[in-house]
Amino acid sequence: MTRWSIRPTRRRLVWLALVVAGALVVGLFWHQDDPALPLAASAPPAGLHFLGPVPVVTPAGEDRTARRRQLAGQVRLTQHTYCSYLQHTRYPHASRPAAQHPDQLYPNQPVRESNPMRVAGGDSDPGVLVQTAQSRVYLAAGETVEFSLRAVDARGAALPLVVTRALAQGMVAQGARPAPSVTLAFSQDDGGNWRATFAPHAGVLAGFHGTIRSEVRFSTGGRSGMVLFDVIHSPELPAVWTGAPHEAIGPDALEFTLPLDVRLPGRYVVSGRIDDALGRPFALASFNELLGQGTQSVALRVHGKLLHDADPGPALPLVLRDVEGYLLSENADPDRLLLARREGPVLVSRTLSLSGVPDSEWQSEERSRYLAEYAKDRAAARERLAAFDPAATLPPLACSEPGLVQ
Amino acid sequence: MKHRRIPYALYVLGTLCLLLATTVAGATNYTLWINGRSSGGAPGNYSDFRYWGPAAIPAGINKQAVNWDGRSSIASQSGRVRDALDCFCTGQNWCYIAAYSAGDLLLGYTLANYGGSARTVTNASANASGVCAASGGVQTGWNLKWVRVAAGASGGSELANAGAWTTSEPLVQDLKTSTARAMYNHNDTRNVWFYRYAGARGTAYSFLLPGQDDEVVAYHSSGGVAGNAGRSLCNPGDWLCDDLRLGTAPNQGGSVKWSWHSVVFRDDGERFNHYGDGNWAGIIGVVRDAMVDTAN
Repeated sequence: MTRWSIRPTRRRLVWLALVVAGALVVGLFWHQDDPALPLAASAPPAGLHFLGPVPVVTPAGEDRTARRRQLAGQVRLTQHTYCSYLQHTRYPHASRPAAQHPDQLYPNQPVRESNPMRVAGGDSDPGVLVQTAQSRVYLAAGETVEFSLRAVDARGAALPLVVTRALAQGMVAQGARPAPSVTLAFSQDDGGNWRATFAPHAGVLAGFHGTIRSEVRFSTGGRSGMVLFDVIHSPELPAVWTGAPHEAIGPDALEFTLPLDVRLPGRYVVSGRIDDALGRPFALASFNELLGQGTQSVALRVHGKLLHDADPGPALPLVLRDVEGYLLSENADPDRLLLARREGPVLVSRTLSLSGVPDSEWQSEERSRYLAEYAKDRAAARERLAAFDPAATLPPLACSEPGLVQ
Repeated sequence: MKHRRIPYALYVLGTLCLLLATTVAGATNYTLWINGRSSGGAPGNYSDFRYWGPAAIPAGINKQAVNWDGRSSIASQSGRVRDALDCFCTGQNWCYIAAYSAGDLLLGYTLANYGGSARTVTNASANASGVCAASGGVQTGWNLKWVRVAAGASGGSELANAGAWTTSEPLVQDLKTSTARAMYNHNDTRNVWFYRYAGARGTAYSFLLPGQDDEVVAYHSSGGVAGNAGRSLCNPGDWLCDDLRLGTAPNQGGSVKWSWHSVVFRDDGERFNHYGDGNWAGIIGVVRDAMVDTAN
């Protein structure tokens, strides 16, 4: 019997096992660039918790306490990563609980800001706060925007203010021919706010695509100040809503379908809000897909399990409202052409019971891929800690630790 | 018997090579660093760490510099990030990401708009433009473990509102607070965590930046706070200002953070400003330490 004979199965398996182990060890250390060298100025632990920076361990592993803390932190981080992903991906990315999108629920509410008054020379007056509002930031072709401003002192009391000049002008690249400008007509309302309505489509800026900056100069308390309002204007509609929206129960979701006549093909990004029958926000549904020219459909889905899991469940029927979207252009500036906004209710669901609505978790290649990798990381972190400190207490694998999933 | 020995030896060697190939080339973790405003490293050159500091300094496993020009619009530069993600975060390869300042806005925009798009799996070997060749296959989105954000500007900066920076710069237009916050859905990260690091050693522009700031961004942005800008948030102990709370907890006063955004470092000692000084300094240094510790 020669040494390389394949006949003794046991010996062959031993060799194979040695080869596998050797390869794994080589592969493992192949990745170990960027060793954790100590730096002169490592971060202090202010505001630290388990995801924050941990003191860097010396290469020789002299500081076993720090190393143990580091490994324990990695165990908690990988556990948190795995468990939070597992829990939150029960529903697909395109159908999410409303609570996870707090600033997306009322897209047509004005954008309000308050800043210290900016005065000539780039300085500011912290004693005067200028409160501004604009009804929207992105404008589809044909839409208008309302601007308003007022001044208050540090205690919130209104201060007299007069708008002296307001000019809207398209922003262009440096060196390009200046875009046209238009004067905005501000007037004071009964509440002391100065207001103006800007309709780019109604003037020389109708064909302008991009950021239009409105520079508003005013006077208050004997000093001159300035505020800037920016809007991003789309000069044309890339597609037109057409036909009546309809509803169906799909394989895993309640689907609201909106027909769209696409003039310019490409990636369309659309979102809609789903309220329950009492007007309470329940979900955000989104759509992000490539659409060809012609009659297409935009499907906004409410995942069935999201409906079934809600406790208390939503009052039916659901209402789809406030649909907005745009055609996204890759690597371009401006990057989008907006669809006409559909403000208010768009479709009231006919589904009055969840009995026929599917109740299954979202499954996809993406989800499986992520969970497999995160699980692998978690197992590796646990093994590292256990190898370093066999007495270390490992957290339970179950994703039920209170406060773990945020 | 000789003719039986050789095949088994080859079999053993083949197994060794296959395992090595699978372990080394087939499944690699990378650490991507996405810069903020102003120029530094050459776009497309993933080895050029000039923006950050000495390249020899550890900054996470297999670190790559995702350089972009730091002045053009977010939309026009998103392709740089997509190229890098396609290169290093597809197939068997996975990525940790560190984003700084406007790099936060750039990454958030990219994930919200393209995070679910079909991506070509590549060979992780970039050409001079930073593009990697297809290696076969297509997948949905990228392979991301998590993101750490230093001085995140995805909520914009009042310095852009006030004209403190040149208004002809497209990026400055994007950094206006109302524009940055309306640009994309910041909650849509494809369920990938953004761990945020907020510095508070700001003095020069404190009259423009509400609450605590690092001299460029205020806590409402670096802390990932949803809703309108202008909210004053501070470290605990300031009775005239609401606290920015750690983790995902709502802040004092009720403001909330974007989903999948968690504050893991708040600069209670007011020790870290916005600037890296080309030497991994300021709040960048805090994130670098964390990347060394956890991106492996």
